[in-house]
Amino acid sequence: MPTISINRKDLDQLLRRRATDKELDAWLPLVKGEVKDSDAATGELRIELQDSNRPDLWCVEGIARQIRCKLDGKPGAYAYMKAAKGKRDQVLVEKGLEHVRPFIGACKARGYKVTAEGLTQLIQTQEKLADIFGRKRRTISIGVYRLRPITFPVSYALVRPEEATFRPLGYDDAMSLREILEIHPKGQEYAPILAGQERLPLLRDAQGAVLSFPPIINSRDIGEVRAGDEDLFIEVTGTDLRMVMLAVNIFAANLHDRGAAIEPVDIVYPYKTEMGRTVRMPQAFGRPRTVTQAEISRALGTALSAREIRASLVSYGYAVAGSDRSLKVALPAYRNDLMHSVDVIEDVAISRGYHTFGPIMPSAFTVGGLSRIEQLSDKVRELMLGFGFQEIISNILGSREDLVARMRLSEGHPAAHRIEIENAMSQSIECLRQWVLPSLLRVETASSRSFYPHLLFEVGEVAVPDPGTETGTRTEVRLSALLAHAGANFSETHSYLALLCYYLNKPADHLAPIEHPSFIEGRVARIELVGAGGTSSVGLIGELHPEVLERWQITMPCSMFELTLDPLL
Amino acid sequence: MSGVAALAESLHPHEVKVAAALDASPDKDGLTDEDIARHSGIEVAQAGAALGRLQIKGLVSILSEVTSQIVSLSDTGERYFQRYTPLVRIISALRAAANAGAQLTIKDIQQREELDAAELSGAVGELKQEGVIRIAAGGIVELAGASSPTAESLQKLIQYVHEGAKPLTEFAHAEQTLIAKFAQKRGKPNEPFRVDDRVARRFGLTETGRAVAQQIRKEGVREEVARLTPEMLKDGSWRSARFRKYAIGLNPARIPAGKKHPYREFLDLVKTKLTAMGFEEMRGGLIENEFWNMDTLFMPQFHPARETHDVYFVKDPTHSAPIREPFLTQVAQAHENGGKTGSSGWNYTFDRMRTRRLVLRSQGTAVSARTLAAAPKVPGKYFSIARCFRYDQVDATHAPDFFQVEGIVLGPDINFRTLLGLLTLFAREVAQAQEIRFTPAYFPFTEPSVELHVRHPRLGWIELGGAGLFRPEVTHPLGIDVPVIAWGLGLDRMAMVALEIHDIRDLFSGDLEMIRSKRVQY
Repeated sequence: MPTISINRKDLDQLLRRRATDKELDAWLPLVKGEVKDSDAATGELRIELQDSNRPDLWCVEGIARQIRCKLDGKPGAYAYMKAAKGKRDQVLVEKGLEHVRPFIGACKARGYKVTAEGLTQLIQTQEKLADIFGRKRRTISIGVYRLRPITFPVSYALVRPEEATFRPLGYDDAMSLREILEIHPKGQEYAPILAGQERLPLLRDAQGAVLSFPPIINSRDIGEVRAGDEDLFIEVTGTDLRMVMLAVNIFAANLHDRGAAIEPVDIVYPYKTEMGRTVRMPQAFGRPRTVTQAEISRALGTALSAREIRASLVSYGYAVAGSDRSLKVALPAYRNDLMHSVDVIEDVAISRGYHTFGPIMPSAFTVGGLSRIEQLSDKVRELMLGFGFQEIISNILGSREDLVARMRLSEGHPAAHRIEIENAMSQSIECLRQWVLPSLLRVETASSRSFYPHLLFEVGEVAVPDPGTETGTRTEVRLSALLAHAGANFSETHSYLALLCYYLNKPADHLAPIEHPSFIEGRVARIELVGAGGTSSVGLIGELHPEVLERWQITMPCSMFELTLDPLL
Repeated sequence: MSGVAALAESLHPHEVKVAAALDASPDKDGLTDEDIARHSGIEVAQAGAALGRLQIKGLVSILSEVTSQIVSLSDTGERYFQRYTPLVRIISALRAAANAGAQLTIKDIQQREELDAAELSGAVGELKQEGVIRIAAGGIVELAGASSPTAESLQKLIQYVHEGAKPLTEFAHAEQTLIAKFAQKRGKPNEPFRVDDRVARRFGLTETGRAVAQQIRKEGVREEVARLTPEMLKDGSWRSARFRKYAIGLNPARIPAGKKHPYREFLDLVKTKLTAMGFEEMRGGLIENEFWNMDTLFMPQFHPARETHDVYFVKDPTHSAPIREPFLTQVAQAHENGGKTGSSGWNYTFDRMRTRRLVLRSQGTAVSARTLAAAPKVPGKYFSIARCFRYDQVDATHAPDFFQVEGIVLGPDINFRTLLGLLTLFAREVAQAQEIRFTPAYFPFTEPSVELHVRHPRLGWIELGGAGLFRPEVTHPLGIDVPVIAWGLGLDRMAMVALEIHDIRDLFSGDLEMIRSKRVQY
């Protein structure tokens, strides 16, 4: 969800009234916006917009438009959407682009003298849309140009990397497309989008002047808009036609709201698109949807009349037709987020204001309760607390260093089998713990100044590989107990384990001697559970090897047991 | 009770004995701690401790202080007592050799007697000076015929002092000289004697002390008991016992104790509240495939929150078993064109292999999705407190893994207003908030979506949670045909306030002292 920066005065101009702070607070829910920061001196507001499906709201023009609509009770008029048929200036698409970056959209905006604030907003909107909605320019990217130097028709062509040169933004000298990809910061940043392409997209006018190298960089000569410029050309390229069209529609509406006259442009494709071979932009492409008064009332838990519903939707920007029972609703052209009736229903609720709906308690009677493993965990925790152990809660993510190396394990040892993260961020967060003991040793290492004895336990989750399960892994709930004091030893630890097993009525204190690198030889055993199906291993008990303690920088003898609780159920 | 009587009552038995001994003594100069110990039948150390306490209480004062020098054996002296001095040993070794017709060098003696070089050279010098030995050609040591008075006197003195430390004044002048010669001093740490200053104090009763002693004499010394023992209870002797009164105001020693982790206290409270509100707990695995973590939640596969910078992917294994039908097909259709959900879908080609990609659970809603697919009760209320993982830079507000409290409510009566009702209940029960506010929100899997803000008694307005009605694209493919509330509570901030910590990482702190010292909340 984007956070944008807007200017209060600019907002007021677009709202065509001065909004008080209180009014603004009351209106921002209409756009799912929240003020993150405000600077009274400069009038700057930083607003977070929550709705990832409403890119039209990620700009001051869109926010103002949605609020104005509510205040006016109806959407503004966007007459250019219904412009008469006839010949328009064209953008000609070259064959082959269907395999590179198939779609382009464009329009012209005349008669709006770009203000400094307007330019800042234009650039911000361009960046937010390309970055978040366009997934870092992969699905869409946007170019804005001075209209006057451009001679139509503009061609959207494919050229070899060495074939074209132009002066990119930020540089004085002309560069080839290859040089731009290799040297220009934007080229380096976005080159992966065009990776593997022999020929690259290029936008040129009828004279051969380069507009831009989409989706990388604009030409400095035509594609550098400054405050004071009057006529603009907007272009959007991308991989998804609807997203391209939506972006054009948003820019058209934004510039229209700032006073520009929008002139459509025809895109002429050499291949078929879902909108045909010649696509006029801007163009409303959403289909109307039918919603019934009954489903809206049921979902909102409130009986609303058709008139109320109609008023709510119209004052939220919709066009509404059809009968009272069954309404035919259509979104404005700058929106494309209607997938289901529930989307309309939410807009009714937002338009009316959530505060107008009185909360009612769900009336159904249900019985609450805990899972069996949680009940067992609670009992075990209660017993350990009664035995005098301090409870610990730790992170589950850990490092190879803590979980394996410091435990004197080697990779390949069964006790070292664990779930590793592919895209680990750092070495301290690279795998899930496969046992809890290292978490307790982490506490012991940090706590030598706390008075002894230290009796610690944690009941927590671990993950281990298990090819037999759906996810190839198993999440287990473990109890791990650590005793650290001058006399900590196996027999004391065994006493606690035996007592715990006695209370749980599990003969799980049968111990089988094993060898384990983390423990002193001859002082470590597997805890075995003798059940109907035979004997199974449910844990470990032992005195920690001095080398393990040394690696953790612990200077107190430590003894431990760790028990898997799931098999006890 | 008078002051004197109260003081008399408060005395430790040893103090009573010391006071009585001092009171009984006719000696105007007072008594030493040793005298007192002898008269009262307690140990010198006990008498010393009692005298110290009586001084603090103002019942006893020091009458005089005399410093005397006390001679005792050092470790070396004790060794010489056991194995004789080097002087004696050299002489007897030479005699034995002479008797056997052998000759010894200094080195031979050193090896044979295991003497260290410094000891040996000191003793040889002493004996040469006394004319007891001489060094012949080739370093041969011979007896010269004279006897050594030093060797004999020293050995006798060592034997005498071994019986017990003695004041230096007890010895004859010649002996004192010898002791001084063979006493440890700076630079000579290996001598047999030590001479220490000892301060002898003489104590007497103060005026109050005298009054207290008379009070005790009048009332008699009553035997006081420090501890009630099992024997006393068995034989009934406790009936005549008098228990010494304690100094009650002293600070107690710390004891190790078993205590819940402070964050657990908070989580347990939430758990208790939720079960009390009729919620049943659900559990899920730490590792999920993308299907249950995201696809079922109608997050399109191109959604930005599904990329490597938001989710942790599992290295090995990379993929789960194939997704169960009919869920896979129904969810795929919901994404592609809406399927039978009444939706137009996301309008893209759904990648069925990607559904199996394993990730670390990034949201508790994954647990809810699995519950929906497992024939939940209708009406039903469910919750989970699930550990979740996000690809975030770890700092004071981002933990590498954290608990999410989430859940669902299903039923034919569920609608937008019951959603608001449920959130109102949460606000009151979990956050004890009376003032609440709802704002529109966005989640890919709910519509309408709402955020719950509450006025927290200490924090002011905070966002307590997010919720909404699951989209039909979520519920229908999983076989649910009633409306479902999905809710989640953001409790970490509340927990941090309750625990008085400012860094989210401290919720899982490794500092035992901090965990032990946190108070409980009630």
